[in-house]
Amino acid sequence: MATAPLRCAMLALNSPGYRSLALGYLRAYAQADRRLAGRVAFETLDLDTDVDPWWVAWRVLGLEPDVLAVSVTCWNARSVYEVCRIVASVRPECAIVLGGPEVGPAAEDVLTAHPEVGVVVRGEGEITFADLLCELAGSGKAWRVDGVTLRRNGEIVATPDRALVADLDDLPSPYLSGVLTPVDGGAYLETFRGCPHRCAYCFEGKGYGRIRSFSDERIAGEIEFVATAPGVRTFSFIDPVFNLTGERLKTLAMLMAPHVANGVRLHTIEVDIERIDDEAAALLRSAGVVTVETGPQTIGAGALEACHRPFHADRFAAGLAALRAVGISCECDLIVGLPGDDVYDFLAGLRYVLRLDPGKIQSSTLHVLPGTELWERAAELGLEFDREPSHEVIATPDVSFRDLRRAEVFASSLQSAYRARIGG
Amino acid sequence: MIRFADVGVGSGGEVRCSRCHGESQSISYRSASEIAAEIAMACELWDEPPGPNVALTGAEPFGHPELPVLVGAAVDAHCRRLCLETDAVALRSSQNAGGSLIAGVRHLRWIILGGTPGVHDVLLGTPGALDLSVEGVRSFRSIAAEESIPVSVTTVVPVCRHNVHDLPAAAGLAVDAGADRVLLRVEDGGLDLAAALPWIVAACDTGVVNGVWVEVEGVPFCLLAGYDLHLSDAVRERAGAKQPICIECPLDSVCAGVPAGASADQLAMLSPPSFAGTLAVSVLRARATRAE
Repeated sequence: MATAPLRCAMLALNSPGYRSLALGYLRAYAQADRRLAGRVAFETLDLDTDVDPWWVAWRVLGLEPDVLAVSVTCWNARSVYEVCRIVASVRPECAIVLGGPEVGPAAEDVLTAHPEVGVVVRGEGEITFADLLCELAGSGKAWRVDGVTLRRNGEIVATPDRALVADLDDLPSPYLSGVLTPVDGGAYLETFRGCPHRCAYCFEGKGYGRIRSFSDERIAGEIEFVATAPGVRTFSFIDPVFNLTGERLKTLAMLMAPHVANGVRLHTIEVDIERIDDEAAALLRSAGVVTVETGPQTIGAGALEACHRPFHADRFAAGLAALRAVGISCECDLIVGLPGDDVYDFLAGLRYVLRLDPGKIQSSTLHVLPGTELWERAAELGLEFDREPSHEVIATPDVSFRDLRRAEVFASSLQSAYRARIGG
Repeated sequence: MIRFADVGVGSGGEVRCSRCHGESQSISYRSASEIAAEIAMACELWDEPPGPNVALTGAEPFGHPELPVLVGAAVDAHCRRLCLETDAVALRSSQNAGGSLIAGVRHLRWIILGGTPGVHDVLLGTPGALDLSVEGVRSFRSIAAEESIPVSVTTVVPVCRHNVHDLPAAAGLAVDAGADRVLLRVEDGGLDLAAALPWIVAACDTGVVNGVWVEVEGVPFCLLAGYDLHLSDAVRERAGAKQPICIECPLDSVCAGVPAGASADQLAMLSPPSFAGTLAVSVLRARATRAE
């Protein structure tokens, strides 16, 4: 008698309008895995973070899953945990598997704090998740899978780390495999993993250690698919540095050119602005880029040193001027609460970017994220932060709790005033 | 941090305390051509980004018979941010609110004398004025939201001895009406700062806990220890910096810009009734109160 396939519900709670690229990768890889053919049935729930967790649980339970796999970030973690508690109460036989930057680096803590969670996938998840499903659909010996932390005989155990995927082209494209449908404004592509920078507050590099790229052919295929999808006029790239190298920028500009001619544009591209000269700005323009996002995050010498951030005011301003000259709008980001900064350093940063008149100014409060250097060194640096997600900083040796809140409100008021202008 | 060039459209009829300033003066407006020329010059001479930014001040701008011409002149002069200093009553009309938004107005300086009719209306001498004023701001914000036009509203409160106790309520009202920022402008040289500080501090806290920034003008840094971020100049300079008014203070030579004591001899140096002198008396009184 044939065994019924394992029902796997995959859940992401995204910013409104977006779909989870992470779930797309996981499902595309698992669906292509011959070992799972006919043994696992997938259903993806891409919902918005503002949906009430009880209604999310309603949707999940309606699928009667054997496995609930959730992509967790600091932004959705509280809701995810609530969903998991409800699902586990109603359907205790469902195995709950979490992955993502919020839980991977703190897997043991997550399992300790959330008894309803069965497994945490650490690091790059595609192969690990597929292996895990193999075990769950078969012998049930999940502890044989590398790259997970799980419960076994009442203990929390971590299996060995999994090596990074050597060739990213081994991962099927979520778009080209039909798992993910591009939506206008909400589609993201990824051309490489890793980050050339080592900012102490950031998990962008995800501990990957080195930069691995998808092939030009793979990138070309994805761009072609997304840029010609019905209704898609704008999309973006999730790469932490779009202008990683001059050669790469030229390639991307060339691949985008025919679509730019058809009116397709790129928004919210993250760039290393200090490396943008007139030529790079022109290439970005050719690639259809209309808005970029960049630092400086801080201009305070103490924080720059503590966070290993390079910053050269003149080069930053020159990059911004080059972008402005070709009509690309820039969002300058600042963080309040970085170690080494006092509140006046933050205000100086605001003043600096304001005088550059970048187009958009965005300030945020430091989040001490699991897996980052600041997470590891928080006690040493005297950072008080919320242990619960989203791990917002509460106070630092240089900025009191009250001044942090004041700085947030002041910055918010300034952003409103800056944004309120004629002609956008 | 965002600077505006103030261009007066006229004089008289400003929102100000009738007990401090007496009866409202008759209103007179400058010609549109004169104002437009000044706007153009302000924009042309603008030398520091972001900008140019112009605020139409003085008499109520909605009373100017050629306000649309003035707004058009600002747009033609490539003004990036155009602000109206107003009591906002005229904005109750959706035609005024919508028209000004479509024409290019993005900022309001909404002037109130208090957060309750018992203060604002009484000090202004116009019963019912505050409710109409709030209605106007809400109309402006509502139409801006409908049209997806980003706007910014600053509530300006000219602070005097007659309204100081109502500052927390004014901050609360600003929050409620959808303001982005509150500016408490201490203009009364006779104001007893020692008595005023708790109200100023409470207004700052009311704003912050409700997500609206409250800025204070005209109070020395030394008096607002722990609240120095709220001082207008403090957001431009580092902690310990003095206010411009400090230069005029007889205690300037002995003051490091942080709380410090002062002797009876220094007190004797004061020469009232100048604002600085009166201010210094208040400084000393406040310090003495704190010391006790």
